[in-house]
Amino acid sequence: MRLSKRFFNQNKILALLLLAVFCTTTPVMALDGNEILKQVDKNLQPESYEMYRKLINIEPDGSKKEFVLYSVKKGQEKMVALFLSPASEKGRSTLRLGENMWLYIPAVGKPIRITSLQSVVGGVFNNSDILRLDYGAEYDVAGVTEEGAKYVLDLKAKTTAIAYDRLKMSVEKKTMVPTTIECYAASGMLIKTLYYKKNKDFGGGLVRPSVLETDSPLYKGYKSVMVYAKINKKKLADEVFSLNYLPRVDELR
Amino acid sequence: MISSRSNHFQRGILPRLLVVFLLAFPGSGQAEDDYSFDLEEFEKKTFAWGGYAELKWDHLDLNQDAAFYRLNFYREPRASLDRLSSILQLDGNFNKDKIAFNWRLQATARQDEIAWDDSADVFEAFASYKPTPLATIDLGKKVFKWGKGYAWNPVGFIDRPKDPNNPEEALEGFIGVGLDLIKSYGGSLQTIALTTVALPVWQGVNEDFGESDNVNLAAKLYLLYRDIDIDLVGFIGNSRSSRYGADFSTNLAVNFEIHGEVAHLPAQKTKVLSPSGGLSIREEAETSYLLGIRYLTVNDLTTIVEFYHNDDGYSEAEMDRFFQLVVDADGQYLATGSDALYQQAQLVSLSGYGKPQSGRNYLYLKTTKKEPFDILYLTPGVTAIVNLDDNSYTISPEAVYSGFENWELRLRGSVINGGYFTENGEKQNSSKLEFRVRYFF
Repeated sequence: MRLSKRFFNQNKILALLLLAVFCTTTPVMALDGNEILKQVDKNLQPESYEMYRKLINIEPDGSKKEFVLYSVKKGQEKMVALFLSPASEKGRSTLRLGENMWLYIPAVGKPIRITSLQSVVGGVFNNSDILRLDYGAEYDVAGVTEEGAKYVLDLKAKTTAIAYDRLKMSVEKKTMVPTTIECYAASGMLIKTLYYKKNKDFGGGLVRPSVLETDSPLYKGYKSVMVYAKINKKKLADEVFSLNYLPRVDELR
Repeated sequence: MISSRSNHFQRGILPRLLVVFLLAFPGSGQAEDDYSFDLEEFEKKTFAWGGYAELKWDHLDLNQDAAFYRLNFYREPRASLDRLSSILQLDGNFNKDKIAFNWRLQATARQDEIAWDDSADVFEAFASYKPTPLATIDLGKKVFKWGKGYAWNPVGFIDRPKDPNNPEEALEGFIGVGLDLIKSYGGSLQTIALTTVALPVWQGVNEDFGESDNVNLAAKLYLLYRDIDIDLVGFIGNSRSSRYGADFSTNLAVNFEIHGEVAHLPAQKTKVLSPSGGLSIREEAETSYLLGIRYLTVNDLTTIVEFYHNDDGYSEAEMDRFFQLVVDADGQYLATGSDALYQQAQLVSLSGYGKPQSGRNYLYLKTTKKEPFDILYLTPGVTAIVNLDDNSYTISPEAVYSGFENWELRLRGSVINGGYFTENGEKQNSSKLEFRVRYFF
């Protein structure tokens, strides 16, 4: 009798423990991870838009370097960014078509291929951060869990050409936008962490974070920040996203 | 009392502590403000301009045994030369609806220990009419920069040759009329673009391009096919011989790019020094090509390697003949005081022998390391150009710093070396040190 009661109590404790674990970290059976990612992409950027951003590289001593970019994006795989400031970078433009990236420097006069791992601005942001496509275009959902007010998506790169092999993305349930994204190399090393902050109404029903911060264990003490000032839906011709059009990007503004 | 003390604490010490905290950690309070930015400053303007001002100091150690040293300094021999030079480049554009006007002007001034030199050039000045994103019509002086090579471009049929030591510098264009058409698709063929240019050579127009009183045509068909950039290029006209070519560029991996160019000239005429000492015309079919890679390591080390075969270059025997002419000229000058042979050698030099990389087979290597030791905006690197026929070379280590907004500082050294009668062994300089400051506005 004492034994069965003890056994019952043990089972009860185990059940409660399992319930607690289940409640705090539950695989989201009912929710489709791909649907969550699709919603995140939709909430972060419209299908076709123009955008103004400021990039700030902050050094450990507090000194800063700022860049202002005008960008346009169409569909899941096409994006162009034009540097408006500082004067030393003005007129440079970068084009991304899927996994292909090019940099156009007016004085050089012809586009050259660049890689997603490089950085045209220095600092912690690399080219794939600056020319960010939809997450769903580059990553498959390998797993999804629910942690309190957040979903945590485990994303795996679709090809080896993607800058980061895995992402651990925390998504706020209420707004369905990311809060933090940890970016890992194929070796499992943490390359950087992205922090989405300060939700803002950009108009046209677009409410999303207006600040993206990043730090990296590879750049200790350094921080880079992306500030979004204006995001407007815009109709764009496919031909805008071509090498021949790169010298003309400013005409889109 | 307690309440009073508490209020006193809240009213007096707490704000003071807050002030002390804010003063001690100004970044924590300012960071929020710094995240805002005023878009009005970046509103599009009808008229925009910019450019840079440059100041450069060079110290050249002269190779007093070399052919090109003798050719340039036989009257005033010296061991070294210091030079101060400046450049002012003004870029701008005027955009109104579908019409645009673009320009790039450059003025240079140079003072060395021997002479003053200055020039002012219109590098580009052209008007564009853009009825749709699919089409552009250009009229005026424009740079085209065809080809995928970093240091050389065998298919740059309507471009001036670039300096492999400074391949990213602006160049002067040619006057012409161009039509650019673009079309994008959704399949394996993602983009197709056609660029056609009519380039006249008349008195006062493009006179340095080739033979006068001709209108030349050049065309480039660009394809983005299965993530490969492909260009098919052609040039016909009587100012230069007709020529055809192709280039490509693609990423084999996220950090590994490969590119190449090939150009065929069915009947190219080149001035060569004949055994009798005069200039004669060599006419033959030539095929020049370039193959290159760009590789980025996990440590942000970027390496560019290019092999270039220049079929239009001079053979070792032809170069030897020119170097021997200079030796003979020096002998004549020392023995008789006559510089007749030197005058002849200078004419031969201007005909092509004095061009940089005038040989046939070259290897180019450039390695740069981004931000070593966590020093942001510092990029040290080294460039090597090797003449594979005579094994002579130049090696140029450099460091570029762009951490001050709109300023760029570059320190570069060069060692130019080779044996007797080799291209780099007969160059004017044995070494060079250069410090360059640029301010962009």
